Amino acid sequence: MSAVAGVLIAATMIVGTFLVLIASIGLVRFPDVFCRMHAAGKAGTMGISLIIISSVICFAGVDNSILVRGLLAIFFQFLTTPTATHLLARSSYVRNYSLTDRTVVDELKGMIPSTPDETYVEE
Amino acid sequence: MNGFLVWTSTICLMAMFFSAALCLYRMIIGPKAADRAVALDTLSTVFIGIICVMTIEWFLMGYHSAVVYYDAVWILTLVGFIGSAAIAKYLQRGRLF
Repeated sequence: MSAVAGVLIAATMIVGTFLVLIASIGLVRFPDVFCRMHAAGKAGTMGISLIIISSVICFAGVDNSILVRGLLAIFFQFLTTPTATHLLARSSYVRNYSLTDRTVVDELKGMIPSTPDETYVEE
Repeated sequence: MNGFLVWTSTICLMAMFFSAALCLYRMIIGPKAADRAVALDTLSTVFIGIICVMTIEWFLMGYHSAVVYYDAVWILTLVGFIGSAAIAKYLQRGRLF
């Protein structure tokens, strides 16, 4: 492995780990569930893509099936994580989960019927 | 070069285990079920990163058969999505299907 490839691997790995760490810190420190979804859905996706890119660079020329599997993983990550976050945000808005008191504007107020289909006992 | 990369991946593994601990903390204290679902989604993301970095580290340390663990990366993505979508549907309608 050449020195350029090593520096690229280290740089992408460190930046990706930093973004994943930022996502986790935001998950702990943000005030309500929608802010937490914002942190987990954006920083986590970018960070995991950078980590997968670093492993693809590391195995380039050694095992070319890693390239296909890594690109497949990045594609599925970009496809699934925003979708899952959007589904969770919509369902928690329908369940009337409270916004934080620092919320400035709530554009969905009155747009979505905020009663679920059937009665559901909160935990 | 390999020693430098092994040290870098060790430090990145420590940071990612700390991230997993933070996700577990939010999963324990999360006031509502959606918080726990978001924490589970992020935890699966962190596990994908841990598998990637551990594969790199084991490969650089000479264990060339560690490549077989790499299939877990893209499979874990799909499984995490199915879990989050199921929890979201259950929260929205009170039943799963």
